[in-house]
Amino acid sequence: MSDKNEQEIYRIKELESMNLSTENNRELVIKTGKAVSRENDILAEKINKNLVKNNVKSFDIVGAIGAGKTAILERIIEKISNDYRILVINGDIVTRIDADRIEKHGAKSIQINTGRECALNAYHIHQILKNQDLSKYDLLFIENVGNLICPSEFFLGADKRIIVVSVTEGEWVVEKHPMLFKMSEIAVINKIDLAERLRTDVNKMINDAKMINPNIKVITTSAKTGTNIDILIKNLNL
Amino acid sequence: MKKDLENIEEIINNIKGNDASKLKDLLASFLKKHVKRNQVEKYIGDFPTFIEPVYLGNDVKIGDDVLLGPNVYIGNNAEIGDYVELSNTIVFDNAKIGENFKLENCIVAKNSALLFSNLREKNCILMGQIDLKENLKKISF
Repeated sequence: MSDKNEQEIYRIKELESMNLSTENNRELVIKTGKAVSRENDILAEKINKNLVKNNVKSFDIVGAIGAGKTAILERIIEKISNDYRILVINGDIVTRIDADRIEKHGAKSIQINTGRECALNAYHIHQILKNQDLSKYDLLFIENVGNLICPSEFFLGADKRIIVVSVTEGEWVVEKHPMLFKMSEIAVINKIDLAERLRTDVNKMINDAKMINPNIKVITTSAKTGTNIDILIKNLNL
Repeated sequence: MKKDLENIEEIINNIKGNDASKLKDLLASFLKKHVKRNQVEKYIGDFPTFIEPVYLGNDVKIGDDVLLGPNVYIGNNAEIGDYVELSNTIVFDNAKIGENFKLENCIVAKNSALLFSNLREKNCILMGQIDLKENLKKISF
Protein backbone atom coordinates (compact mmCIF):
# COMPACT_ATOMS: atom_id res chain seq x y z
CA MET A 1 0.00 0.00 0.00
CA SER A 2 1.38 3.45 -0.92
CA ASP A 3 2.06 6.11 1.75
CA LYS A 4 -0.65 8.28 0.19
CA ASN A 5 -3.26 5.52 0.52
CA GLU A 6 -2.18 4.82 4.07
CA GLN A 7 -2.55 8.48 5.04
CA GLU A 8 -6.00 8.59 3.51
CA ILE A 9 -7.09 5.47 5.42
CA TYR A 10 -5.94 6.95 8.74
CA ARG A 11 -7.69 10.25 7.98
CA ILE A 12 -11.00 8.47 7.36
CA LYS A 13 -10.60 6.36 10.51
CA GLU A 14 -10.03 9.52 12.57
CA LEU A 15 -13.10 11.20 11.08
CA GLU A 16 -15.23 8.15 11.95
CA SER A 17 -13.98 8.21 15.53
CA MET A 18 -14.75 11.90 15.88
CA ASN A 19 -18.30 11.41 14.62
CA LEU A 20 -18.98 9.12 17.56
CA SER A 21 -17.70 11.56 20.16
CA THR A 22 -19.28 14.38 22.13
CA GLU A 23 -17.46 17.67 22.71
CA ASN A 24 -16.45 16.45 26.17
CA ASN A 25 -14.76 13.24 25.10
CA ARG A 26 -13.71 14.11 21.54
CA GLU A 27 -10.02 14.18 22.39
CA LEU A 28 -10.19 10.87 24.26
CA VAL A 29 -12.13 9.19 21.45
CA ILE A 30 -9.56 10.26 18.86
CA LYS A 31 -6.65 9.23 21.08
CA THR A 32 -8.22 5.83 21.84
CA GLY A 33 -9.15 5.23 18.20
CA LYS A 34 -5.57 5.95 17.13
CA ALA A 35 -4.16 3.70 19.87
CA VAL A 36 -6.43 0.78 18.92
CA SER A 37 -5.54 1.15 15.26
CA ARG A 38 -1.83 1.40 16.05
CA GLU A 39 -1.93 -1.64 18.36
CA ASN A 40 -3.71 -3.66 15.68
CA ASP A 41 -1.12 -2.69 13.06
CA ILE A 42 1.81 -3.53 15.36
CA LEU A 43 0.30 -6.94 16.10
CA ALA A 44 -0.44 -7.52 12.39
CA GLU A 45 3.21 -6.80 11.59
CA LYS A 46 4.32 -9.22 14.29
CA ILE A 47 1.98 -11.91 12.88
CA ASN A 48 3.37 -11.41 9.39
CA LYS A 49 6.98 -11.64 10.58
CA ASN A 50 6.16 -14.91 12.36
CA LEU A 51 4.43 -16.33 9.28
CA VAL A 52 7.35 -15.34 7.04
CA LYS A 53 9.83 -16.83 9.54
CA ASN A 54 7.91 -20.12 9.32
CA ASN A 55 7.74 -19.96 5.49
CA VAL A 56 3.94 -19.67 5.54
CA LYS A 57 2.45 -17.56 2.74
CA SER A 58 -0.73 -15.83 3.85
CA PHE A 59 -3.84 -14.33 2.28
CA ASP A 60 -6.72 -12.36 3.77
CA ILE A 61 -9.91 -12.81 1.73
CA VAL A 62 -12.63 -10.16 2.09
CA GLY A 63 -15.98 -9.70 0.37
CA ALA A 64 -19.71 -9.48 0.96
CA ILE A 65 -21.90 -12.37 2.10
CA GLY A 66 -22.65 -14.51 -0.95
CA ALA A 67 -19.88 -13.07 -3.16
CA GLY A 68 -18.27 -16.49 -3.28
CA LYS A 69 -15.30 -16.24 -0.90
CA THR A 70 -15.75 -19.79 0.40
CA ALA A 71 -16.53 -21.21 -3.04
CA ILE A 72 -13.37 -19.60 -4.49
CA LEU A 73 -11.33 -20.99 -1.60
CA GLU A 74 -12.83 -24.45 -2.14
CA ARG A 75 -11.80 -24.36 -5.83
CA ILE A 76 -8.29 -23.14 -4.97
CA ILE A 77 -7.79 -25.71 -2.21
CA GLU A 78 -9.04 -28.68 -4.23
CA LYS A 79 -6.45 -27.81 -6.88
CA ILE A 80 -3.45 -27.28 -4.60
CA SER A 81 -4.05 -29.30 -1.44
CA ASN A 82 -1.90 -32.18 -2.71
CA ASP A 83 1.07 -29.84 -3.03
CA TYR A 84 0.64 -27.54 -0.02
CA ARG A 85 -0.30 -27.92 3.63
CA ILE A 86 -3.09 -25.43 4.17
CA LEU A 87 -4.59 -23.76 7.22
CA VAL A 88 -7.81 -21.76 6.82
CA ILE A 89 -9.32 -19.42 9.39
CA ASN A 90 -13.02 -18.87 8.71
CA GLY A 91 -14.62 -15.76 10.17
CA ASP A 92 -18.39 -15.66 10.51
CA ILE A 93 -20.91 -14.07 12.83
CA VAL A 94 -22.23 -17.52 13.79
CA THR A 95 -22.18 -21.14 12.45
CA ARG A 96 -19.45 -23.51 11.24
CA ILE A 97 -20.84 -23.90 7.74
CA ASP A 98 -17.81 -22.44 5.90
CA ALA A 99 -15.21 -24.30 7.96
CA ASP A 100 -17.02 -27.60 7.30
CA ARG A 101 -17.09 -26.85 3.56
CA ILE A 102 -13.36 -26.09 3.50
CA GLU A 103 -12.34 -29.19 5.48
CA LYS A 104 -13.91 -31.45 2.85
CA HIS A 105 -11.19 -30.33 0.43
CA GLY A 106 -8.21 -31.35 2.54
CA ALA A 107 -7.30 -28.22 4.50
CA LYS A 108 -7.38 -27.72 8.25
CA SER A 109 -9.95 -25.09 9.17
CA ILE A 110 -10.55 -23.13 12.34
CA GLN A 111 -13.83 -21.29 12.79
CA ILE A 112 -14.07 -18.00 14.60
CA ASN A 113 -17.57 -16.74 15.34
CA THR A 114 -17.42 -13.02 15.97
CA GLY A 115 -20.93 -12.64 17.39
CA ARG A 116 -21.64 -8.94 17.06
CA GLU A 117 -18.29 -7.94 15.55
CA CYS A 118 -18.35 -7.39 11.79
CA ALA A 119 -14.67 -8.11 11.05
CA LEU A 120 -11.73 -10.12 12.25
CA ASN A 121 -8.85 -8.21 13.80
CA ALA A 122 -5.16 -8.96 14.32
CA TYR A 123 -5.74 -10.05 17.92
CA HIS A 124 -8.14 -12.80 16.80
CA ILE A 125 -5.52 -14.10 14.37
CA HIS A 126 -2.77 -13.84 16.98
CA GLN A 127 -4.81 -15.87 19.48
CA ILE A 128 -5.42 -18.60 16.91
CA LEU A 129 -1.89 -18.79 15.53
CA LYS A 130 -0.14 -18.86 18.89
CA ASN A 131 -1.93 -22.15 19.54
CA GLN A 132 -0.84 -23.63 16.20
CA ASP A 133 2.40 -25.24 15.09
CA LEU A 134 3.12 -23.13 12.00
CA SER A 135 5.81 -25.52 10.80
CA LYS A 136 2.94 -27.85 9.83
CA TYR A 137 1.66 -25.42 7.17
CA ASP A 138 2.78 -23.83 3.90
CA LEU A 139 -0.22 -21.56 3.33
CA LEU A 140 -2.68 -19.62 5.46
CA PHE A 141 -5.96 -18.31 4.11
CA ILE A 142 -8.06 -16.07 6.34
CA GLU A 143 -11.67 -15.74 5.20
CA ASN A 144 -12.93 -12.57 6.82
CA VAL A 145 -16.49 -11.95 8.03
CA GLY A 146 -18.74 -11.30 5.02
CA ASN A 147 -19.11 -7.59 4.32
CA LEU A 148 -17.31 -4.89 2.35
CA ILE A 149 -17.01 -2.26 5.06
CA CYS A 150 -15.66 -3.33 8.47
CA PRO A 151 -12.68 -5.43 7.30
CA SER A 152 -11.02 -2.23 6.03
CA GLU A 153 -10.53 -1.23 9.68
CA PHE A 154 -8.06 -3.97 10.50
CA PHE A 155 -4.97 -5.42 8.88
CA LEU A 156 -4.56 -9.06 9.88
CA GLY A 157 -0.89 -9.61 9.07
CA ALA A 158 -1.42 -11.53 5.82
CA ASP A 159 1.00 -11.06 2.89
CA LYS A 160 -1.81 -10.19 0.49
CA ARG A 161 -5.42 -9.16 0.67
CA ILE A 162 -7.85 -10.52 -1.92
CA ILE A 163 -11.21 -8.82 -2.38
CA VAL A 164 -14.00 -10.92 -3.87
CA VAL A 165 -17.09 -9.33 -5.41
CA SER A 166 -19.63 -10.91 -7.72
CA VAL A 167 -21.57 -9.76 -10.76
CA THR A 168 -24.80 -10.44 -8.82
CA GLU A 169 -23.94 -7.51 -6.54
CA GLY A 170 -24.36 -5.14 -9.49
CA GLU A 171 -21.83 -3.15 -11.49
CA TRP A 172 -21.69 -0.33 -8.90
CA VAL A 173 -20.40 -2.53 -6.09
CA VAL A 174 -16.76 -1.63 -6.81
CA GLU A 175 -17.10 2.15 -6.90
CA LYS A 176 -19.33 2.05 -3.81
CA HIS A 177 -16.66 0.28 -1.74
CA PRO A 178 -13.35 1.95 -2.63
CA MET A 179 -11.58 1.42 0.71
CA LEU A 180 -11.14 -2.33 0.44
CA PHE A 181 -10.10 -2.06 -3.20
CA LYS A 182 -7.43 0.45 -2.19
CA MET A 183 -6.18 -1.97 0.45
CA SER A 184 -6.14 -5.13 -1.68
CA GLU A 185 -3.55 -6.61 -4.06
CA ILE A 186 -5.98 -8.84 -5.98
CA ALA A 187 -9.63 -8.24 -6.93
CA VAL A 188 -11.75 -11.22 -7.94
CA ILE A 189 -14.96 -10.59 -9.84
CA ASN A 190 -16.82 -13.84 -9.36
CA LYS A 191 -19.93 -15.49 -10.87
CA ILE A 192 -18.81 -14.38 -14.31
CA ASP A 193 -21.00 -17.16 -15.75
CA LEU A 194 -24.04 -15.06 -14.80
CA ALA A 195 -22.84 -11.73 -16.25
CA GLU A 196 -24.56 -12.06 -19.60
CA ARG A 197 -27.90 -13.13 -18.17
CA LEU A 198 -27.83 -10.34 -15.58
CA ARG A 199 -26.49 -7.83 -18.14
CA THR A 200 -23.89 -6.68 -15.62
CA ASP A 201 -21.22 -4.42 -17.12
CA VAL A 202 -18.12 -6.37 -16.03
CA ASN A 203 -15.77 -3.98 -17.85
CA LYS A 204 -17.07 -1.14 -15.70
CA MET A 205 -16.29 -3.19 -12.58
CA ILE A 206 -12.76 -3.91 -13.85
CA ASN A 207 -12.15 -0.26 -14.80
CA ASP A 208 -13.51 1.00 -11.46
CA ALA A 209 -11.17 -1.30 -9.56
CA LYS A 210 -8.19 -0.13 -11.65
CA MET A 211 -9.15 3.51 -11.19
CA ILE A 212 -9.39 3.12 -7.39
CA ASN A 213 -6.16 1.14 -7.19
CA PRO A 214 -3.99 1.15 -10.35
CA ASN A 215 -1.78 -1.59 -8.87
CA ILE A 216 -4.59 -4.06 -8.23
CA LYS A 217 -4.69 -7.28 -10.27
CA VAL A 218 -8.27 -7.94 -11.42
CA ILE A 219 -9.33 -11.51 -12.24
CA THR A 220 -12.79 -12.54 -13.41
CA THR A 221 -13.78 -16.00 -12.19
CA SER A 222 -16.59 -18.46 -11.83
CA ALA A 223 -16.21 -20.69 -8.81
CA LYS A 224 -19.13 -22.69 -10.16
CA THR A 225 -17.57 -23.55 -13.53
CA GLY A 226 -13.94 -23.18 -12.45
CA THR A 227 -13.26 -20.39 -14.98
CA ASN A 228 -9.92 -18.63 -14.38
CA ILE A 229 -9.26 -20.32 -11.03
CA ASP A 230 -5.86 -21.37 -12.43
CA ILE A 231 -5.07 -17.73 -13.26
CA LEU A 232 -6.02 -16.72 -9.74
CA ILE A 233 -3.76 -19.42 -8.27
CA LYS A 234 -0.91 -18.25 -10.53
CA ASN A 235 -1.35 -14.72 -9.18
CA LEU A 236 -1.00 -15.93 -5.61
CA ASN A 237 2.69 -16.48 -6.50
CA LEU A 238 2.91 -19.64 -4.42
CA MET B 1 -15.04 -36.22 30.15
CA LYS B 2 -16.82 -36.39 33.52
CA LYS B 3 -14.18 -38.69 35.00
CA ASP B 4 -11.31 -36.40 33.91
CA LEU B 5 -13.10 -33.36 35.36
CA GLU B 6 -13.67 -35.20 38.65
CA ASN B 7 -9.98 -36.09 38.75
CA ILE B 8 -8.94 -32.44 38.32
CA GLU B 9 -11.54 -31.37 40.86
CA GLU B 10 -10.29 -33.85 43.44
CA ILE B 11 -6.69 -32.65 43.08
CA ILE B 12 -7.81 -29.01 43.47
CA ASN B 13 -9.79 -29.85 46.62
CA ASN B 14 -6.84 -31.59 48.26
CA ILE B 15 -4.00 -29.67 46.70
CA LYS B 16 -0.46 -30.17 48.04
CA GLY B 17 3.20 -30.21 47.01
CA ASN B 18 3.75 -30.82 43.32
CA ASP B 19 0.04 -31.06 42.46
CA ALA B 20 -0.01 -27.63 40.77
CA SER B 21 2.43 -28.70 38.05
CA LYS B 22 0.44 -31.92 37.62
CA LEU B 23 -2.67 -29.77 37.07
CA LYS B 24 -0.93 -27.82 34.32
CA ASP B 25 -0.49 -31.04 32.35
CA LEU B 26 -4.01 -32.23 33.17
CA LEU B 27 -5.45 -28.90 31.98
CA ALA B 28 -3.66 -29.16 28.65
CA SER B 29 -4.54 -32.84 28.10
CA PHE B 30 -8.20 -32.32 29.12
CA LEU B 31 -8.65 -29.47 26.64
CA LYS B 32 -6.94 -31.42 23.86
CA LYS B 33 -8.94 -34.58 24.52
CA HIS B 34 -12.40 -33.19 25.21
CA VAL B 35 -12.70 -29.70 23.69
CA LYS B 36 -12.84 -30.14 19.95
CA ARG B 37 -14.50 -27.69 17.59
CA ASN B 38 -17.17 -25.41 19.02
CA GLN B 39 -19.77 -27.11 21.19
CA VAL B 40 -21.87 -24.06 21.95
CA GLU B 41 -25.27 -25.14 20.63
CA LYS B 42 -26.84 -25.13 24.10
CA TYR B 43 -26.12 -21.40 24.47
CA ILE B 44 -29.10 -19.18 23.75
CA GLY B 45 -27.90 -15.76 24.98
CA ASP B 46 -26.45 -12.78 23.16
CA PHE B 47 -23.48 -13.58 20.93
CA PRO B 48 -19.94 -13.37 22.29
CA THR B 49 -16.91 -14.10 20.10
CA PHE B 50 -15.95 -17.78 20.01
CA ILE B 51 -12.59 -18.90 18.65
CA GLU B 52 -12.95 -22.65 18.35
CA PRO B 53 -12.69 -24.96 20.13
CA VAL B 54 -15.03 -23.85 22.92
CA TYR B 55 -17.30 -26.08 25.01
CA LEU B 56 -20.27 -24.56 26.86
CA GLY B 57 -22.29 -26.52 29.43
CA ASN B 58 -25.96 -26.05 30.22
CA ASP B 59 -27.38 -22.70 31.34
CA VAL B 60 -24.16 -20.72 30.99
CA LYS B 61 -24.57 -16.93 31.24
CA ILE B 62 -22.20 -14.74 29.24
CA GLY B 63 -21.90 -10.92 29.43
CA ASP B 64 -21.25 -8.33 26.70
CA ASP B 65 -18.03 -8.08 24.66
CA VAL B 66 -16.69 -11.44 25.76
CA LEU B 67 -14.00 -13.38 23.87
CA LEU B 68 -13.87 -17.12 24.52
CA GLY B 69 -11.27 -19.41 23.03
CA PRO B 70 -9.37 -21.08 21.74
CA ASN B 71 -9.45 -24.12 24.05
CA VAL B 72 -12.03 -23.18 26.64
CA TYR B 73 -14.34 -25.43 28.69
CA ILE B 74 -17.15 -23.80 30.64
CA GLY B 75 -19.22 -25.98 32.95
CA ASN B 76 -22.94 -25.93 33.74
CA ASN B 77 -24.51 -22.83 35.28
CA ALA B 78 -21.27 -20.83 35.08
CA GLU B 79 -21.51 -17.04 34.78
CA ILE B 80 -19.04 -14.97 32.78
CA GLY B 81 -19.05 -11.17 33.28
CA ASP B 82 -18.75 -8.40 30.66
CA TYR B 83 -15.43 -7.82 28.81
CA VAL B 84 -14.01 -11.20 29.89
CA GLU B 85 -11.41 -12.98 27.79
CA LEU B 86 -10.57 -16.65 28.34
CA SER B 87 -8.16 -18.94 26.47
CA ASN B 88 -6.81 -22.41 27.32
CA THR B 89 -8.97 -22.36 30.43
CA ILE B 90 -11.43 -24.56 32.35
CA VAL B 91 -14.25 -22.93 34.28
CA PHE B 92 -15.96 -25.52 36.48
CA ASP B 93 -19.71 -25.82 37.15
CA ASN B 94 -21.41 -22.96 38.99
CA ALA B 95 -18.32 -20.71 38.91
CA LYS B 96 -18.85 -16.97 38.57
CA ILE B 97 -16.31 -14.63 36.97
CA GLY B 98 -16.50 -10.84 37.33
CA GLU B 99 -16.11 -8.07 34.76
CA ASN B 100 -12.92 -7.59 32.70
CA PHE B 101 -11.07 -10.79 33.58
CA LYS B 102 -8.37 -11.99 31.19
CA LEU B 103 -7.35 -15.57 31.96
CA GLU B 104 -4.93 -17.75 30.04
CA ASN B 105 -4.03 -21.35 31.01
CA CYS B 106 -6.15 -21.18 34.15
CA ILE B 107 -8.63 -23.30 36.08
CA VAL B 108 -11.52 -21.67 37.93
CA ALA B 109 -12.65 -24.10 40.64
CA LYS B 110 -16.20 -25.38 41.08
CA ASN B 111 -18.62 -23.06 42.86
CA SER B 112 -16.08 -20.21 42.92
CA ALA B 113 -17.56 -16.74 42.98
CA LEU B 114 -14.95 -14.21 41.91
CA LEU B 115 -17.22 -11.21 42.24
CA PHE B 116 -14.83 -8.35 41.53
CA SER B 117 -13.54 -6.63 38.39
CA ASN B 118 -10.27 -6.37 36.46
CA LEU B 119 -8.02 -9.41 36.76
CA ARG B 120 -5.14 -10.54 34.52
CA GLU B 121 -3.82 -14.02 35.26
CA LYS B 122 -1.90 -16.78 33.49
CA ASN B 123 -1.02 -20.34 34.52
CA CYS B 124 -2.95 -20.65 37.75
CA ILE B 125 -5.87 -22.09 39.69
CA LEU B 126 -8.37 -19.55 41.03
CA MET B 127 -10.85 -20.29 43.77
CA GLY B 128 -12.89 -18.81 46.61
CA GLN B 129 -16.15 -17.02 47.14
CA ILE B 130 -15.04 -13.44 47.37
CA ASP B 131 -15.89 -9.93 46.31
CA LEU B 132 -12.45 -8.37 46.83
CA LYS B 133 -9.46 -9.03 44.59
CA GLU B 134 -7.16 -8.98 47.64
CA ASN B 135 -8.87 -12.11 49.02
CA LEU B 136 -8.40 -14.16 45.87
CA LYS B 137 -7.00 -17.65 46.46
CA LYS B 138 -4.53 -18.35 43.69
CA ILE B 139 -2.16 -21.27 43.09
CA SER B 140 0.29 -20.72 40.26
CA PHE B 141 1.76 -23.42 38.08
